[in-house]
Amino acid sequence: MDNQTILELTNVRKVFGQTVALDSVTFSLRRAEIHGLLGGNGAGKTTLMNILYGLYRKDEGEILHKGKKINIQGPKDAIRQGIGMVHQHFLQIGNFTVLENIILGTDIDNRYTMKTQNEEKKILDLCQRFGLDVDLNTTIDTLTVGTRQKVEILKALYRGVDILILDEPTTNLTPQEVDALFESLRVMVNDGLSIVFITHKLREVLSVCDRITVLREGKNITTLDRKDASEEVFVRAMVGDKMDIENSIYFATDQRSSFVNRLDQAAAFEMSSVSFINKDGIPRLKDVSLNIHSGEIVGVSGVAGNGQRELAEIVTGVIPVSHGKILLDSKDITHTNNQELFKTGIAYIPEDRLHDGFLPKANVAQNLILGHHRNQPYSDGNFINWKTVFKETREQIKEYNIKTSGPEDVGGNLSGGNIQRVLIARAFSMPSQLLVAHNPTRGLDIPSMDFVYQKMLKRREEGYATLLISEDLDELIRICDRIAVIYRGEILGILPRSEFDKYAIGRLMSGIKEENPATEEKALP
Amino acid sequence: MTIVKKALPYFLAVVASFIAAGIFIALMGFDVFKAYSTILFTSFRTPNGFIQTLLKFVPLVLQALAFTIPLTAGKFNIGGEGQMIAGGIGAAVVGILFSSLPAYLLLPLVILGGIIAGAIWGLIPAWLLYKFNINEILTTVLLNFVALALIDYVCTGALRDPGAGHPTTVAIGVGGWLPLFMKNPPFHAGIIIAILVAIGVYIYTARTTGGYELIATGANPRAAGVFGIKVRRMFVLSLLLGGAIAGLSGAIEVAGVQHRLIEGMQSNYMVLGLIIGLIAKGDNRVVPFVAFAIAILEVGASAMQRTLMIPVEMVFIVEALILLFVLLSDVVRRK
Amino acid sequence: MDILVNFLRLVLLSMVPFVLAGQGTMLGGRTGVFNVAQEGMMLVGASLGFLVSYYSGSIFLGMVAAMLSGALFGLALAYFTTALKMDQFVIGLALFFIGVGLSTLLPKIIIGITLTPPLIKTLPNLAIPLLSSIPVLGPILFNHNILVYASVIISVGLWYFLYRTQKGLELRSVGEHPMTADSLGVNTTKNRYWSTIIGGALIGLSGAYLPMVYSGTFTEGMVMGRGWLAIALTFFGGWSPLPILFGSLFFSAVEVLAFRVQVIGSFLPYQFLQMLPYIATIIVMIITFKRARVPAFLGLNYDREKRSV
Repeated sequence: MDNQTILELTNVRKVFGQTVALDSVTFSLRRAEIHGLLGGNGAGKTTLMNILYGLYRKDEGEILHKGKKINIQGPKDAIRQGIGMVHQHFLQIGNFTVLENIILGTDIDNRYTMKTQNEEKKILDLCQRFGLDVDLNTTIDTLTVGTRQKVEILKALYRGVDILILDEPTTNLTPQEVDALFESLRVMVNDGLSIVFITHKLREVLSVCDRITVLREGKNITTLDRKDASEEVFVRAMVGDKMDIENSIYFATDQRSSFVNRLDQAAAFEMSSVSFINKDGIPRLKDVSLNIHSGEIVGVSGVAGNGQRELAEIVTGVIPVSHGKILLDSKDITHTNNQELFKTGIAYIPEDRLHDGFLPKANVAQNLILGHHRNQPYSDGNFINWKTVFKETREQIKEYNIKTSGPEDVGGNLSGGNIQRVLIARAFSMPSQLLVAHNPTRGLDIPSMDFVYQKMLKRREEGYATLLISEDLDELIRICDRIAVIYRGEILGILPRSEFDKYAIGRLMSGIKEENPATEEKALP
Repeated sequence: MTIVKKALPYFLAVVASFIAAGIFIALMGFDVFKAYSTILFTSFRTPNGFIQTLLKFVPLVLQALAFTIPLTAGKFNIGGEGQMIAGGIGAAVVGILFSSLPAYLLLPLVILGGIIAGAIWGLIPAWLLYKFNINEILTTVLLNFVALALIDYVCTGALRDPGAGHPTTVAIGVGGWLPLFMKNPPFHAGIIIAILVAIGVYIYTARTTGGYELIATGANPRAAGVFGIKVRRMFVLSLLLGGAIAGLSGAIEVAGVQHRLIEGMQSNYMVLGLIIGLIAKGDNRVVPFVAFAIAILEVGASAMQRTLMIPVEMVFIVEALILLFVLLSDVVRRK
Repeated sequence: MDILVNFLRLVLLSMVPFVLAGQGTMLGGRTGVFNVAQEGMMLVGASLGFLVSYYSGSIFLGMVAAMLSGALFGLALAYFTTALKMDQFVIGLALFFIGVGLSTLLPKIIIGITLTPPLIKTLPNLAIPLLSSIPVLGPILFNHNILVYASVIISVGLWYFLYRTQKGLELRSVGEHPMTADSLGVNTTKNRYWSTIIGGALIGLSGAYLPMVYSGTFTEGMVMGRGWLAIALTFFGGWSPLPILFGSLFFSAVEVLAFRVQVIGSFLPYQFLQMLPYIATIIVMIITFKRARVPAFLGLNYDREKRSV
């Protein structure tokens, strides 16, 4: 260990039930570096850092802080050692103010009156020093994702951390916001902070990190200096030997030939001027027009919460259309209920798999037929043919590589990735005119992501339409024929494959239309 | 093997709660072994004891199903008591108003009157849930208290039997009485109805498409709704079915046991039904077996109070403890 | 005028069980523990409070016993749901059953079955000097038993604690988003235990109020659904101390009204007046439940290591 190293984890092991999440993992962090922790989903990155932050207990291994062995029982101990963590899903209380969120858990000077001038002053100083601009008295619920991230970073800085862990911090940021984040990370590192940067995005670590550690399936594969290694080395480390990188879509570099729009052919799916006004009277979709041809994959890009969920649910008939018209195969389906839609040709992979797509208390077989349960061959309309259902379930468990003890296994026993596989199997197992897939690869490791892409391209070849709503811009660029960008419930632009450009899409994602680039300067911090 | 594995935690839970309650009984100065042998074997010592157990089984299994069917759809029906009373009132009113009808007409009408009245009592919270999104737990409970006042009104009002010391209506027509298998002790045919209902519930929930939708709704209403199941209708249906079955139990009490409406006839069947349903972990297939076991304990409890002067509530505590230990066995297995 | 003064006086007198049970429910709920055993806990409080008062001759000891029994139920609820992560509602029901059974079992064992129930002295009124002699307001507000005053003081105290102290902020954070609280070093387990135990003590005390003020004795099922009404009240009051205090005035007013009209007599059969509190509560639920603010994590168990991907 060199004297620059301030933190070291050695031989850390963690087991969840039957699965080994971390197997003898070693990790070290130097003063004032950005250390990338790279790996696909399920590699154990977050688990490792949750152990460091005291949220999980390790089963084996040691943590050394400045060469001394430390014992972290809970987040309180980690905070005391100067460790802070920004979680991927922000840990904030929606109906508390920014100030309350930041000071929660710290000792307040006037703890029996809650007069907090001293605390406010300290936070405002930090805001100034690191260029983080937040109004302390607003409620968290009303803030944008970008601002909430600033609050999260402020929380750590307020506690005087010198080690900051960021878990997938670029999720839901536009490319421009990502650049701004990277800049302020540099400011912090120059200030003496050490940063652990967890991500599954190779390009991000390559652009911002000083050193990179790669994890795969709970083992650490390698740690390398950024300048000493090439992209290929990291790719191979991330996916292992089994995956065929040459033919993968995930790592594909050449431009796939895009769909040729035959004008003589009517669109398979067509929505014109569709609006949706929610229960509180707030318009969530405004005048959305979008069509998808047979054999086309249309992507929808946008920062989460700009109407993507409503779009998916409008198309699948989960929520009613307020105005406008929707055609599927030239048939008006504007007011068709979703029971009918699932019968006649729509498949759906919802974004929030746990809440919207899965029955944790039911078994795997019952989960796989959800939505198809009134159709042949699963049911004659009155009785369910469990024999057929179980036979099909066994086949799908094999094909989609779902790790489960069998069709009768309770859904709640499955891991996140396997739940996602169940949803994917359900959506692809029945032929459908239109597939609506919302963040379909979230939580999957890279080979599984590739599997989903192959399946989608196969649909494309077979002439079916696909609507891919994703917050992962790289994913959209990889396989879509066209990308529509949604902002505050409006489609701001639709780009064909030849015009795909990350920054152009990013501008649209933050609501800046091409015509007036003048506002662009202001939007970038 | 699997049955043994499944039954073992139940067995251990029973043993554990008997030990816990046994200590308490001993501390009170009673003979523990005498108490337990009375509780456990009264049902099997005499034919009368066994018939009493079968008779107890009827309202218990129906009350338990009135709880577990809505539970299958994820809804808690804590209103079985009110629904049973409503069913009893419905059955009694029909049985008194049309008392001269022959049995082949009056008996079905009495039973149907109970079922419909119970269903209506279940429909009120269902409607409140459907229309205003009001949690069914509180509304079903509160309607129990409303039903308690209602039965008092009926039993002291126009249909009152002035000769009775306790609030009671006059008898229903003889045509509305459930036929008896034997006269002494009276053993009515309600057991057949209860078994048919239990089988019907099993077929519906485990085999049919509608039953699948009920299960899916209970497993995750949001996901079920996203994939085309009309969950709010399933909620209403489940509470309606629960109310109907609880109403049926009230009708059987009137047509089979009392032949009139008596205030207090609902006994503590609902609470026992909840305990049975929870011990069975909401599984409709297991409910009849647990209900039978609880019926044994209940018959034993009355005998114990008569012969040993130990209050029946002691057995009620034992039953609640069995529930607690069964729930605990899940935790142990999880670890 | 006298009728109105008397009515308002009775409203204040009868609000106490609602206030105490409502605040007890609220306190546990603010850390996410949803108690549904109130009815059983109040019955045990009533039963035990009565028995201890009867045998010790001290109403104060009776209150302490009732609070201890409630605290014990609260501890059990916290243990089963926080340490063992069992379903809150199911455990609540099980505790409710045990409470119902115990409340009748205890008097039967200790006193035996008697025809004339033994009586305890009811709580005396404490007239507040000067204030109680103000015309109209004096008799309505300042001539009550000690628990009337205590219930108001407890409500205001809880409000101050929850919204004006650091510990209160921490407690509320546990019921909103325990993972956030936990990640910042707030002890979620401790908060859940203490809030449920103290909440339980308040619920136990609210049960003891019934024999100590109304009847002087314990009768089977004497709580008459007030425990369940307290849950409705807590929702009605948005899980916040002061609205719960004012909401209990409404619940109490309906109860007193139903009772007064029964005594005076009306064209309606008295049974329909008995239904009034329950039906009124359902109507209140229709009107207010949509807007009710509920702790985000109410009824859920927090497991730090459970991976919720």
